[in-house]
Amino acid sequence: MTAWFVASAIGVLTACGVWLCLRARSFDVVLGLTLLTYAVNVFIFAMGRLAFNMPPIVRPGVPATLAHYADPLPQALVLTAIVISFAMTALVLTLAMKAYHVNGSDACDPPPTDKGAGTGAAPP
Amino acid sequence: MTAQWLIVPILLPLLMAPLLLLCERWHPRWQAPLALLSTLAVAIVAAGLVRMADTGTVGVYLLGNWQPPFGIVLVLDRLSALLLLLTAVVALASQIAAAPLAARGPHFHAFFQVQLAGLNGAFLTGDLFNLFVFFEVLLIASYALLLHDAKGRALRAGLHYVVINLVGSALFLIAASLFYGVVGTLNFADLAARLPQLAPQDAGLAQAAALLLLVVFGIKAALLPLGFWLPGTYGAAPGPVAALFAIMTKVGLYGIIRTSTLLFGAGTTALTGWGADAVFALGVVTMGFGAISALSSQRMGKLIGSLVLVSSGTLIAASTLGEPALAGALYYMVHSTLAIALLFLLAHSIGLQRGATADRFGDGPAVTQPVLLGLLFVFAAAAVAGLPPLGGFIGKALMLSATINTSVMAWFWGAVIGSGVLGIMVLARAGSRVFWNVNGAATVAPPMAPSALGGIAVLVLASLLWTALAAAAARYTADTALQLVQPHLYVDAVMRTAPVPAPAKEH
Amino acid sequence: MMLFALVLLPFAAALGCAMLPNSARNTVAWIAGLTTLAGCALLGMTGPLIFGGEILRAAVSWYPQVAFGFRMDGLAWTFAGIIYAIGALVVLYARYYLAAADPPARFFAFLLAFMGAMLGIVLADNLILLVVFWEATSLTSFLLIGYWNHRADARQGARMALAVTGAGGLCLLGGVIVLGHIVGSFSLDIVLAAGPRIRADPLYPVALVLTLLGAFAKSAQFPFHFWLPHAMAAPTPVSAYLHSATMVKAGVFLLARLYPALGDTDLWFFIVTGTGLITLTLGAGFAIFQQDLKGLLAYSTISHLGLITLLFGLDSPLAVVAGIFHILNHAAFKASLFMSVGIIDHETGSRDMRQLNGLWHFMPFTATLAMVAAGAMAGVPLLNGFLSKEMFFAETLQLTTHPVLEVMVPVVAAIAATLAVAYSVRFIHDVFFNGEPVGLTRTPHEPPRWLRIPVEVLVVVCLAVGIVPAVTIGPVLDVAARSVLGSEMPVYSLALWHGFNLPLLMSLLAMAGGVLLYFGLQKAVNLHTIVRMPMNGKVMFDRALEVLVRNGRRIVAWSPGASLPGGLAWIVVTAVAAMAWPLLRLGFGVPGVAVEPLGEIPVIIGALIWLFGVGAAIAATLCYRQRFLALLLIGATGLAVSLGFVLLSAPDLALTQLLVEIATIALIMVVLHFLPQTSPPEPGPWRKWRDAIVAVAAGVGITLVAHAVMTRPVASIAPFYLDRALPEGGGTNAVNVIIVDFRGFDTLGEIVVLGMAGLLVFALLWNFRIPPAAQPAEPGGPWNPLLVRSVTRLLLPLAAMVAIFLYLRGHNLPGGGFVAGLTLACALVALRIAGGGTAILDPRQLTYQTWVACGLLAAGLTGVGSMLLGYPFLTTSFLHPVLPVVGEVPIASAMFFDLGVFMTVVGAALLTTISPGLLPDGHIGEPAA
Repeated sequence: MTAWFVASAIGVLTACGVWLCLRARSFDVVLGLTLLTYAVNVFIFAMGRLAFNMPPIVRPGVPATLAHYADPLPQALVLTAIVISFAMTALVLTLAMKAYHVNGSDACDPPPTDKGAGTGAAPP
Repeated sequence: MTAQWLIVPILLPLLMAPLLLLCERWHPRWQAPLALLSTLAVAIVAAGLVRMADTGTVGVYLLGNWQPPFGIVLVLDRLSALLLLLTAVVALASQIAAAPLAARGPHFHAFFQVQLAGLNGAFLTGDLFNLFVFFEVLLIASYALLLHDAKGRALRAGLHYVVINLVGSALFLIAASLFYGVVGTLNFADLAARLPQLAPQDAGLAQAAALLLLVVFGIKAALLPLGFWLPGTYGAAPGPVAALFAIMTKVGLYGIIRTSTLLFGAGTTALTGWGADAVFALGVVTMGFGAISALSSQRMGKLIGSLVLVSSGTLIAASTLGEPALAGALYYMVHSTLAIALLFLLAHSIGLQRGATADRFGDGPAVTQPVLLGLLFVFAAAAVAGLPPLGGFIGKALMLSATINTSVMAWFWGAVIGSGVLGIMVLARAGSRVFWNVNGAATVAPPMAPSALGGIAVLVLASLLWTALAAAAARYTADTALQLVQPHLYVDAVMRTAPVPAPAKEH
Repeated sequence: MMLFALVLLPFAAALGCAMLPNSARNTVAWIAGLTTLAGCALLGMTGPLIFGGEILRAAVSWYPQVAFGFRMDGLAWTFAGIIYAIGALVVLYARYYLAAADPPARFFAFLLAFMGAMLGIVLADNLILLVVFWEATSLTSFLLIGYWNHRADARQGARMALAVTGAGGLCLLGGVIVLGHIVGSFSLDIVLAAGPRIRADPLYPVALVLTLLGAFAKSAQFPFHFWLPHAMAAPTPVSAYLHSATMVKAGVFLLARLYPALGDTDLWFFIVTGTGLITLTLGAGFAIFQQDLKGLLAYSTISHLGLITLLFGLDSPLAVVAGIFHILNHAAFKASLFMSVGIIDHETGSRDMRQLNGLWHFMPFTATLAMVAAGAMAGVPLLNGFLSKEMFFAETLQLTTHPVLEVMVPVVAAIAATLAVAYSVRFIHDVFFNGEPVGLTRTPHEPPRWLRIPVEVLVVVCLAVGIVPAVTIGPVLDVAARSVLGSEMPVYSLALWHGFNLPLLMSLLAMAGGVLLYFGLQKAVNLHTIVRMPMNGKVMFDRALEVLVRNGRRIVAWSPGASLPGGLAWIVVTAVAAMAWPLLRLGFGVPGVAVEPLGEIPVIIGALIWLFGVGAAIAATLCYRQRFLALLLIGATGLAVSLGFVLLSAPDLALTQLLVEIATIALIMVVLHFLPQTSPPEPGPWRKWRDAIVAVAAGVGITLVAHAVMTRPVASIAPFYLDRALPEGGGTNAVNVIIVDFRGFDTLGEIVVLGMAGLLVFALLWNFRIPPAAQPAEPGGPWNPLLVRSVTRLLLPLAAMVAIFLYLRGHNLPGGGFVAGLTLACALVALRIAGGGTAILDPRQLTYQTWVACGLLAAGLTGVGSMLLGYPFLTTSFLHPVLPVVGEVPIASAMFFDLGVFMTVVGAALLTTISPGLLPDGHIGEPAA
């Protein structure tokens, strides 16, 4: 039951993220990536199973098993993932902005004209 | 304590990067020499590691001195060592050639060192999640190099590259954590040990994770339908960077080979029962598409990018065909990487000498150094197309002879010979259009800079060496393949390594 | 050793020529000439041994099974002789043929390189090496045909030749590899000895067909013949050398070479004989209708090569002898003919038979030479061509295998011979007689002395061989044939006169018929009026290539190569399929015991958070075109996620997620400031829905997977960390201990990524100026809520305190360097967004780069410290002093590591968020030039 809550949340976030990633404009793609990141973080976290009020902070006298603590490893992995995704978001954003101002459009794809032959689209 | 050497290829550039940043602020002139020194040192260490790995023992390094599988381990076997050396050589050439480029923006050398560290880490680590981390390290650096001094078209190509890889990273995270959720560990050796005893009801999820991992590596290795982005991106990258990127697809290939032999090989050939046929088919498709795309491309850069697809497809297809074919593929991999990097550097120099026409086909001005560039181009083209007597030819011969009497002989032979023919035609066309089909006098462009020549010289030398030492090299790759199809060697080496006796910890 | 000298000499000379400047005309010519003469001398020295029936060998090991070695028997010796002798003549000829404008160094360098490659083919002692040199000849011939690279036809001809012969070479490689697989060795001796085994092997057809493809492509056999006529764009010396005497003979040489291994089967007979027959007749037929002299000679060459192929196909020892004999004869007369044509071209400026007439009056001497050679080509008695043709006829008559062929082959042979006579007659009559020259630019005259000498030599050879074969060519032919046939050497007599017999009759018929045919044709259809012939191979080749390119373009255009959404869609679909495939086959697998979440569950709160997050996400997706709104909604989702983490007992995650959330949203706000505020509407509905299907598939898939995993037990490695966190990790907060200790290496990589991202953002904006037009109206626009501005002032010092606190307690309770760093960074960012702090927050003096650098160094060097103590990288050691306020603080080496994390995070976070924020007040970096 609770598992379904979490799982479905992951699913919805993924779906929304993917859909936004497939949009034509760079900013929308960034939003999509953000959602996708949430989904992935929760997914990683969920791989350690669910636990309530049992943070992985060792308390004396409590046996060190997963029966008494949440799984710390996935949490550590999520921390790493969060940081990296933050860095990447910042990068994509800046890139999107620069591309917008240099190419005069925030469309991800080149206009059909300079396809194929690929004449180096000089900045306007 | 010889194991300490394993960390050097990662640590040296990783510490050099911040050092270079400090240099950049206070002693800008020291940057380039320092960076070059570091890369050179990495290359030497890598050569040493190859010798070390060639004894047949699998080197293991316990980071933080934690008992496997709980800590992160570095593992050095023949495959990792070979790729370390290859990376170092290509990086050396690219860095030398990139000297003028580096001056055109901040932090280039730092990024380059991080790129090196990331690649080496990816090839050395024995931990699935740590592999993800190093993928990110090498990716962030590759973004930086690709976007260094980027203009319109390059910016857009960069955006594509970044977004595609971000989605790839998301998939990687899903795959890695899924492995943890189902198998309960992240260490390669431990995974390999646990997977066979997996409860039957978990098999489906485990395979799902495995194939997802394959998809992730497929994106890096530009396996179709995951690799459509490659020719455009590589075509837009500045020559020296594109040359370095020749190694990037090999990271994906490494991932495929490593996981397929170690995790799912179980002593049999790569990927048995894990969709080997599908991967082979996709590899062949990639070869075909690459050849066609090369035939129809209008710029030298895009053409070479398409040839990267061909090479990648060949390698992936061959690596699914069992040990001898894998051995041939590994030999071929080294040479085709060198050759493609060389071709990228050449295309760059040619473009510089053709004024506004740059590396576009169709009649432009003559290059200022037709003889030198022409001969180098013939050399590089022969190397890429697998014309004798260079290593590409030997590699193809090895792969072909290894696949005689296999069920897919007709397909593989057809693909290799067919793509070879197309490759010859395409390169002959490109060469004659650039060097022969000229109108108007030569441009006043300056002759090749010593840096460009230096980078090219490194690659030419390496390619000649790899060819001249064919016997030793092929012996090494054969041993590599043999080592790969015996995963227990890897597993035992890792699981049997004990931490250094702990220091006295006062409480 | 001498063998190595034989092969490597030309390469060395080629290198020498390449070094020399083009002004050194005579030097390069002399180098080339002396090289060829030296080669001839070497061959002469080896002569006695060869004629003694010995086989010379020399080898150095290069690759297992592929000794880099050479082997010279009679056949090889003979061919080497042709290559060097005719090579010498060609060099002399070329020296006087090349115009002043033609760079001689390049020409002779390529020519010598080709010579070396060709020698390599005939002398190679193993098949791989043979293929190596084989492709080398393709490459050098490409360069030589394209020598006059300003001419489009030269470029095309060169490319076509390379494509066809190169492709053939790859096939040959395949065939050779199969052969090696069958025999277990590539050594020529072993392969030649293993004939029976090869023919018995199931792979024999594969080996044979692939090998023959290679040979036929090289020797311009139908249907690969079309490249040869277009190779005539090469300078005439090249045509004389490569395209009549040597390279095109490589194919038939290979037939002769491998005859013992592959020959003597039905398959061989049908393929080789058939191909030879077709090529023989087609070539001869087309030759008649050429207008270009070199074209005529090219097709004649094709036809003669067909004849030789046919002979090897006949599978009788005597036919092999005849084949080799004809190879020699053809080399002699065809080379001389090409050279005479070259002379004519040189002296008249034309090769067009419609213009060239009655040259007899202008250059009688050259004319005589050419006519004699042409006679040999036609097979006139007293000339060498006659003899081999006689043998050929005799062989076709000997054929006893298949009743139909017994009749067909001789008839076709006779017809072909007739055609040969016809085009020879045309060559003679049309060029030297038949009226006066038409529209020549200059009046022809005899060529310079030296240009003619090579022709004279060759013509003398033709006569000598033709009149007294036994003494001149006899021994050579014998030794060459013996090395192919070995024991089964047939008895044959080389003589002019064998009495009246059928072959002689055929010759005479052909002679008469040919003459009649030619003059008949001239009467019926004036040959000069024929402009182009039917069935032009080049046209087909070009069309095929054109089709390939066009469809290639189409495929590439169809592929999402240039499209980001397209590529992404493919990736997502592939990923979903890859995961679905095993799960559909094996199912999710229901675990024996379903795992339930630990602890008592506050369902209501959970449901609320769920609704909040999911609702916001869906809403954001639906109104994504209103970018600012969508951004806020996504922020809400992020908030829900961190609340979820709180609920699911992950305080560290909650904290980090929250801070990162703030930083991210702030950053996006700053950037959105410089982007369009809305997205344009979708082009069409269908794409929306296509994407929706993909997205939903992905969502459903991951939902099922996640649920399946969460509800099954697993024996993970996690307890270890809980167990060792305090005793060995020195902290109670297992997560933080993992971060800085157990998996500290991950964290190192992570902060590297973060730091580099910061630097990259900075580098991207370096020297980048937003066009004033695009700059926002009033700085600090709508995205700058009043709240933030007022709060931040107070926030900053507070944040600093909190940061230190979090940092210190991190090891035991939620917190740590990263969170601390972000706290501080966020405060500063908030301050910046609020429009303050420009002075202290300016990345232009690489301040933050330094923060990042020092942070990375601190973290890295902490790890190195342990190495100095002899422990692996990142091994921790620590002690536990007690500080006021904070309580017991473990001063672990991990703390310094964490300090590095802290610094890097601050530096990077500020770089990423503040660099863009600076844009309105100008650009980053040096003032743009």
